[in-house]
Amino acid sequence: MSARWHKLYGWLDERVDIDELVRFMGKKYVPVHRHSIWYYFGGVTLFLFIIQVMTGILLLLYYKGSEQLAFESIQFIMSKVQFGWLVRSIHSWSANLFILSAVVHMFSVYFERSYRKPREITWLTGMLMLFLGLGFGFSGYLLPWNELAYFATKVGTDIAGVVPLLGKPLMLFLRGGDEVTGATLSRFFGFHVAVFPGLFTVLLVIHLLLVQRQGMSEPQGLEEGESRQTMPFFPNFMLRDILLWLIVLNVLAILAVFFPWELGRKADPFASAPAGIHPEWYFLFMFQSLKYIPSRVLVVDGEVLGIGLFGAAGLAWLLIPFWDRKSARGIRNRTISYIGIGVVVYILLFTILGWLS
Amino acid sequence: MRTPALIAAVLILAGRSATAADACLTCHQGLGDKPSALWAHDVHARHGVSCAGCHGGNPAAEDMERAMSRDAGFVGKPSGDAISAMCARCHADSSRMASLGAHIRTDQFALLQQSVHGRLALDGKQRIVQCTACHGVHGILPVADPGSPVSPLRVVALCASCHSDAKYIRTYNPALPVDQLEKYRTSVHGSRNAAGDPRVAQCVSCHGNHGILSARDVRSSVYPTNIPLTCARCHANAALMASYGIPADQYAQYAASVHGVALLVKKDLGAPACNSCHGNHGAAPPGVESISQVCGTCHALNADLFAKSPHKSAFDAGGLPECETCHGKHDIAPATAAMLGTGGGSICTRCHGDGDPGFMAAAAMKRLADSLAASDSAARALVEEAEQKGMEIAEARFRLRDARQAALEARTTVHAFDEPRFAAVVGKGLAVTSAVADEAARSVAEYYFRRIGLGVATLIITLLAVSLYLFIRRLERRQAAGRGGDAGFPFMKEDTHT
Repeated sequence: MSARWHKLYGWLDERVDIDELVRFMGKKYVPVHRHSIWYYFGGVTLFLFIIQVMTGILLLLYYKGSEQLAFESIQFIMSKVQFGWLVRSIHSWSANLFILSAVVHMFSVYFERSYRKPREITWLTGMLMLFLGLGFGFSGYLLPWNELAYFATKVGTDIAGVVPLLGKPLMLFLRGGDEVTGATLSRFFGFHVAVFPGLFTVLLVIHLLLVQRQGMSEPQGLEEGESRQTMPFFPNFMLRDILLWLIVLNVLAILAVFFPWELGRKADPFASAPAGIHPEWYFLFMFQSLKYIPSRVLVVDGEVLGIGLFGAAGLAWLLIPFWDRKSARGIRNRTISYIGIGVVVYILLFTILGWLS
Repeated sequence: MRTPALIAAVLILAGRSATAADACLTCHQGLGDKPSALWAHDVHARHGVSCAGCHGGNPAAEDMERAMSRDAGFVGKPSGDAISAMCARCHADSSRMASLGAHIRTDQFALLQQSVHGRLALDGKQRIVQCTACHGVHGILPVADPGSPVSPLRVVALCASCHSDAKYIRTYNPALPVDQLEKYRTSVHGSRNAAGDPRVAQCVSCHGNHGILSARDVRSSVYPTNIPLTCARCHANAALMASYGIPADQYAQYAASVHGVALLVKKDLGAPACNSCHGNHGAAPPGVESISQVCGTCHALNADLFAKSPHKSAFDAGGLPECETCHGKHDIAPATAAMLGTGGGSICTRCHGDGDPGFMAAAAMKRLADSLAASDSAARALVEEAEQKGMEIAEARFRLRDARQAALEARTTVHAFDEPRFAAVVGKGLAVTSAVADEAARSVAEYYFRRIGLGVATLIITLLAVSLYLFIRRLERRQAAGRGGDAGFPFMKEDTHT
């Protein structure tokens, strides 16, 4: 068996000089320490993105992005297309795991201060990809054109409309009119399968190139002293990556089969909103926070204030490599840890509250 | 000499006294005009209302100029809405009515204004109907007085004076029929009314009087959902009905029937009210021979099938009312499968004895109906099972409607009493239920296949993962043993470049 692999490797090496490539990759090392586990979440996120692209393309073969046919086409995919149910269910589950994995990856990078010089652009591209991921989620949620998605999109775009000055034009742009209609579905479909993937690919290429170029960042605390252990990126780290991907694939398959993603009822714009509409879980903490803000705070509209605060917080988070000067100089900045823990606790708490309400 | 002088003195005093009481009447009676002649019988005159009560002026003044002076409040002959407003001055004032000793309602004016008659007339300057249009002007009599135009025996002609005038009615509502009086005269109510019975229903008994609303107005007493109770006002009055020798339980029976529940509880306006079968203005019980025609106005297919069935001639010969014989009349219950066949609750066995062809056919048709019902429930159960398992089976669920449709068609086809024809319809339903059951069963099988497939896939992926793990361990052991943890791929030719 081994001889046969050697023979195949030799055959390939003779033709494309694969040995050189392997040696090149072998020169890249991954630090080994007690936080190494977090390195894998970038790879898992990438894997889930690849699954999204593949299952998305398969869904695209049958999906029809129109008000009249969207729901029926998904119904068709789930009941008539061979393994259509599996593809759709995996696409939905993978989308959620993708966001989860990306969020974990982002927080691990944050807590390890891996965004500091020289990796500011890697952080920026990563954050932008996370925002795009949320955009993927928001736009994809509407595509089945079911009741829950319809009203959640209505509420979501309503919230966007509250933003001073830009809000109303933004809402009109998102909806393609005053109301959530077939026009909204068409443009969300366009964003979901063309605009966002295009932008995402560009950002992803930059992100991955930078990771390859700059290597893995080491956590700040390990830089001084401590014996540094490393592991070759290829094949050791990559094989571990693949091992984790297989486990994630297994989890995905189990979720898709045991908890198939429901389709619900077709959206009826003239029906009253069903009880308990809520956005996807990753928007829940913001949605729940907006509920707690009074309708007026001093002279400011409560919703405007909430959206303003979230916008400012998001921007500050995005620009963290540029204002966390201490970490950039290699000084331990505990404030960053406290802020991070506060944000994580806040998000968890409000997500749970949103889920329970 | 003394006697003529005494008489003259009495006459003079009486004349003075009359002049002092109402100079208007004295003068007009002297003229011998019609209003003053009618006024003598007017209910208002009896209650002390004077001419000036409506026309204003000074009834104490003997001089005509003074009596009919505008300064004295003389308004002359009121016209348009001023007429009803004039009546309302007293009739809408409960204390004034009480002071006159008249204990009648004081909401007539308000009701009239809200009624269909209170709409603006063609000229747009006044309402269509004023009080005097129905009650008259100077000779107004109490409603109970047979001489009143609104008394039970005369009110029909009064209403007809407008409502039978096609030219007039079409100026307001071209769709409104004008044959109500004609129909009424053919009805039981109409013929009794014409014979002088004031207790039977006439126009106001059903439509009301001052507050008459369009039959399309949900508040109207003749709006479909209100009709049964309107009829029941008399027809559920046991004492009144006893005098005519008819029962008074029709409303109770109807309210509990399939029709009554549909109309009164479910508010289904397509369901029949009393007038749907009996007629409204021409109300009369349908005769034995016309029952199937009456029921057939809604149940057209059933009536048609029955008319062509062998039962038609048999029922005619036996003098049996067609639909009613099996279904009843006011108390019609929802039709059930139990009515068919030869078991308990069967209607067929009332006439067909064991062994006769009708008995056999009934038994066979019941078996067919039962098989369709059983097949439908089985298909439904499978669809539900598939749905509970999270399978997408909306199309099969939708097709179940076809099975329900076939069951309904079968129920209708029963009225042909033709076993092969019934079997063909049931066959259609069975084909649908069988196809749906197959699809649902495939979905349930698919559900288990998915789990087995998942098991296999999970096993393969797990094996791959374990193999990969072992491979990594072996690789790293080799690396540690070989070159102190340096990079290296197991198949690489180690001596090539180093």
